[in-house]
Amino acid sequence: MYRTAAKRLLAGGGITTTRLLRLPKLRSTIIPSSYTSGLCTSSIGGNTESPMGKQSVNPNQSGPTASSSTGTGEGQRRHESRKPRAEFQEEQARVLSASLRHVPRLGWTEEAMMAGSRDVGVSPSIVGSFSRKEAALVEFFMDECLQLLMDRIDSGLDLQNLIPSERISKLIRIRLEMQVPYMSKWPQALSIQAHPLNVPTSFKQRAMLVDEIWHAVGDGASDLDWYVKRTILGGVYSTTEIYMLTDDSLAEHRDTWAFLDDRVKDAFDLKKSIQEAKYFAEDIGAGVGKSVQGLMNGVMQTMSRRSGGSAF
Amino acid sequence: MALRSVSRRLGSRILNQRSFVASLHSHATSFGFQEVKEEEKSKLVGNVFTNVASSYDIMNDVMSGGLHRLWKERLVGKLSPFAGMKHLDVAGGTGDVAFRIYDAVYSVKRRALQKVDEASLEETQIYVCDINPNMLNVGKQRAAERGLRDNKSLVWVEGDAEALSFDDNSMDGYTIAFGIRNVTHIEKALAEAYRVLKRGGRFLCLELSHVEIPVFKNLYDLYSFQVIPNLGELIAGDRESYQYLVESVRRFPPQERFASMIADAGFEKVEYENLVGGVVAIHSAIKL
Repeated sequence: MYRTAAKRLLAGGGITTTRLLRLPKLRSTIIPSSYTSGLCTSSIGGNTESPMGKQSVNPNQSGPTASSSTGTGEGQRRHESRKPRAEFQEEQARVLSASLRHVPRLGWTEEAMMAGSRDVGVSPSIVGSFSRKEAALVEFFMDECLQLLMDRIDSGLDLQNLIPSERISKLIRIRLEMQVPYMSKWPQALSIQAHPLNVPTSFKQRAMLVDEIWHAVGDGASDLDWYVKRTILGGVYSTTEIYMLTDDSLAEHRDTWAFLDDRVKDAFDLKKSIQEAKYFAEDIGAGVGKSVQGLMNGVMQTMSRRSGGSAF
Repeated sequence: MALRSVSRRLGSRILNQRSFVASLHSHATSFGFQEVKEEEKSKLVGNVFTNVASSYDIMNDVMSGGLHRLWKERLVGKLSPFAGMKHLDVAGGTGDVAFRIYDAVYSVKRRALQKVDEASLEETQIYVCDINPNMLNVGKQRAAERGLRDNKSLVWVEGDAEALSFDDNSMDGYTIAFGIRNVTHIEKALAEAYRVLKRGGRFLCLELSHVEIPVFKNLYDLYSFQVIPNLGELIAGDRESYQYLVESVRRFPPQERFASMIADAGFEKVEYENLVGGVVAIHSAIKL
């Protein structure tokens, strides 16, 4: 249920379902080839400009100096079949995907997106039409990572042999490792996500992520527990993410994973202690209740005996 | 300020076809509320602007209470100019929009904050095209006052919006501020805009448009027809030109109709934003 909801939300979040179909190609551009640690199941190296499906760009249209003169301007108006409006969304996704390659150098900025648009062969002007420009790039990346995570889970991650806390650790680790190539510019991405205009979307994306992880762990909770679990996991994820920003340890952030394991353990301990506290309170309540009731019964009996006795 | 998107619905277009064609034809032969021959319209419009050129800027300030500056700022903000862009401002005679774009690209603050490649800065070209040489002269004069007389980035070109002298796919941006109303054949101007823009290039049009809000509409009509021609007479000494101006605003297609015309020219993601309740509208679109 959560999986389909996540897919629906992803599709409705400004980037259309056509993107999901195109994923194998996009996946190859997120993580550069130097970082194949078994994360990416598809091959790296596809270029974003490779035509797919109904590619409608004419090669001779993109050159700045075409040979035609002004007089024939009207006659040259192409009577092609009308392109669907979804083409803008596709184009935007293509540009953003190409821009990710420039992010480590240029940051989550318009410059990176303009460089990306040049890669795709589109005028950098198009960046001016993206809503909340830098946020569009960050949100695109978050969506892609979530999609990658979901695909990884679907393609048979070995979770059965692990206890829940270890499953959570593993999933969070996989997700955070996707951010490693952009670690130098990740604080900027976090600050963009924290901007008031962008908070609704980034909150929604994180909620979906946390939901997805719990779903994969095999969560069967309902009502209040559902919110508590997601909030706690959200907290664990965020603190680990921030810890990772300043983690210089070797062996690919070994310290971060140790920190993550500790936090997950804390969360589970917290859950246990809350439950213990609940039982304890119930016991006390029961104990106090019994003794009060005993007292009341005693009082009532004494009074009835007295009145009953005196009636005789 | 409401932002609306226009979706292309091919079916309903046929229903609007007849009234659509009629209104276009009426625009081509309307000079304000008068009926004129098509061939004569551009000459009449030319006369209007020859007459108003010298007091154009002052009249703009007086008529809009200085608001036109904010509208143009908004237009340029939407455009998001970048260093190295090739931009075409059509009917931009006195250079208002062009100067703002120039400032946006060359602003010191922007260059300090963002990593701007100085070489690409040199490549920036802002073309100002106007059919009326008097308006262009005013613009060149203003450029000289700002110290930009010999600046290679600003290029003043005399030309017709319906038949531009620029190459296909050569422009990153195209703006037309308060100009498309004066063009005889709007669809030709739009087709030319489509032609000269590169793939991914943006079309932005700032124009006086239709107000629908009930009470405000009446106030606006009152202001347009009673106050503005009198101001024209008082300040510019030319009542007829300003009478033409307010009448031509009424004759121009409303926001939705104009948006569908833009979509017909081949543009994608056609949107418009009303400013001041519809007194002005900024239509934007992308060529893909």
